[in-house]
Amino acid sequence: MPERRVSGVGVTPRSGVGRAVWHAPDTELGDPPDPESVDPDAERERFESAREAARAELRAERDRAADGVDESAAGVFDAHRQFLDDPQITDGVGEAVDAGLPAEHAVERTFDRFVRQFEEMDGRTAERADDLRDVRDRLLRLLTGAGDARADLADLPDRSVVLAERLTPSETARLDPNDVAGIATAAGGRTSHTAIFAKSLGLPAVVGVGDALHEVAEGTDLVVDGVAGRVVADPDDATRAAAASTAAVDVRDAPARTADGTQIEVAANVGTRADLRRAADHGADGVGLFRTEFLLADRPSQPDEAEQYAVYREALEAFPEGRVVVRTLDVGGDKPIESFDLPDEPNPFLGERGIRRSLGPDADRFETQVRALLRAGAGSGGRLSVLLPMVSTVDEVVAARERIEAVASDLDAAGEPHAMPEFGVMVETPAAVLLAPDLVDHVDFFSLGTNDLAQYVMAADRGNDRVGDLADARHPAVLRAIRATVEATAGTDVWVGVCGEMAADPGLTGLLVGLGIDELSASPVAIPRVKRAVGDVSDAAAAALAERALGAATREAVVAAIGDADG
Amino acid sequence: MPERVATVVPEDGLHARPGATFVEIAADSDADVSVAHTDGDPVNAASMLAVTGLGIEQGDEVRVIAEGDGAEATLDELERVLTTPEAEL
Repeated sequence: MPERRVSGVGVTPRSGVGRAVWHAPDTELGDPPDPESVDPDAERERFESAREAARAELRAERDRAADGVDESAAGVFDAHRQFLDDPQITDGVGEAVDAGLPAEHAVERTFDRFVRQFEEMDGRTAERADDLRDVRDRLLRLLTGAGDARADLADLPDRSVVLAERLTPSETARLDPNDVAGIATAAGGRTSHTAIFAKSLGLPAVVGVGDALHEVAEGTDLVVDGVAGRVVADPDDATRAAAASTAAVDVRDAPARTADGTQIEVAANVGTRADLRRAADHGADGVGLFRTEFLLADRPSQPDEAEQYAVYREALEAFPEGRVVVRTLDVGGDKPIESFDLPDEPNPFLGERGIRRSLGPDADRFETQVRALLRAGAGSGGRLSVLLPMVSTVDEVVAARERIEAVASDLDAAGEPHAMPEFGVMVETPAAVLLAPDLVDHVDFFSLGTNDLAQYVMAADRGNDRVGDLADARHPAVLRAIRATVEATAGTDVWVGVCGEMAADPGLTGLLVGLGIDELSASPVAIPRVKRAVGDVSDAAAAALAERALGAATREAVVAAIGDADG
Repeated sequence: MPERVATVVPEDGLHARPGATFVEIAADSDADVSVAHTDGDPVNAASMLAVTGLGIEQGDEVRVIAEGDGAEATLDELERVLTTPEAEL
């Protein structure tokens, strides 16, 4: 069959080659029942509990997007929450229920009125109609108990090109860039939230193709050309070859190198055994941060030494060549754990957390964990590393090291195989930054926890909306703290990693490389795009960007410098 | 009734983050706040739907009106959202 082309709007400057998979969820409700048979009070209650469940879902999906995609994608779910709680929606549904409609029909009618109203307008307002549909479908699914049609999207055959009339933002967020070769929709525009997600995920995408898209049959070979803004069915060899030159390369198998060949380690932040598999699937070089407190969450008792040993061995086996950095227990602060008797502190973020507990009330737990770690590291070729959280004095580091050495001599005496791990500290307090020139004498590496570092340097609680904006790692004070930490390692073998949200944002990769960071650790799904971002930057451009950002006096100037380097 | 007239500075107009921040401030305020194009009808500023429905873009001139407790302080905050480039919000 000769190739056929349809045009739309390209939203990601990449191409993908794959097979058409149609996504066409069925949301028909059927006719409403006789109004006399409807109990308005009961229907109001159904609506309220669906709304509550929707809020909880949105919170969880927001967090997942912040972790796995980026902040602009996460913000989409905040907007959805605002639509969900909009007084015009609650009033509209209330009135429709009082008029004798069941909650689901009332929701459909109320949302559809605004969908139509938005679609009659231009530009950005029209594009928000997709967000309203997304919130509507979420409520309808919760009200009718229908299956989640989005589940199919999370588990597509390799090299799928997803075709749809429209994809809502939350559907797009489900797509795994490693399975999906591209997306094309009949509706939608360049600034739609769906486009934002596609861009953040690095997915080749063409939107606004129109009805012609529906002529493409399931299973057809397709090229999605995000550069030219077109979809080509049954592409000939020349079209395929052209697409391959802008294809989303599979960076999973190779280490990340800048355009000049400088290798940057791209590792994964993990918290569970499932994360280990996801990290390996996404091409992580190793584990940059194993948050061991998650092994303890939601269970009444702590895993014993044997169980911890097994998990650390599993992590080493998941990355036969890579490094595995295990952070010792970081409870306290905002991480309450059921099996710990944590004190009620007026200011937990400045309280007994991290290493402060491990050297104090949790000394036994710390020793158990260290024993498991030292034993697991036996025969690993020094690939296992231990990382201390919340360090603010040299004494803490010396004391922790002594305890680790004491455990090693016990194991020696017992004839247990073990190995001393590589030893590092989190740099997340201003004290650790200022002490970095002294700490280098005691450690093998630093890991910059930029979320907490921003919070403590800026004295601003990330979770507090009124000041959360201050806790942004792009503030000049935070960048200078990062730089000071890197500078303290000059002339030593101490390496520096970043394991905060910054590390997962491809827009900041060049800046971090320029600041002299050796390792970036991000959530598993973010690994491919961080690796790609490393490959897109030259050492000179990264250094120039870092110089500009370090010279900036305001966050706005930092953001502008990053923007200029991008364009 | 206290009111402000401002020309919209953020690149995204009252969409995306500036819109979300604007609605959130209005919703959290004890005052009743409405917003309109200077030549249009006012709508509830605490409603994301209503504010999005206005389609306010960068460069538009808008009027914000508040009545009740803390009206002036709320208007100050909203004026800041309207007149601050997005990166500084």
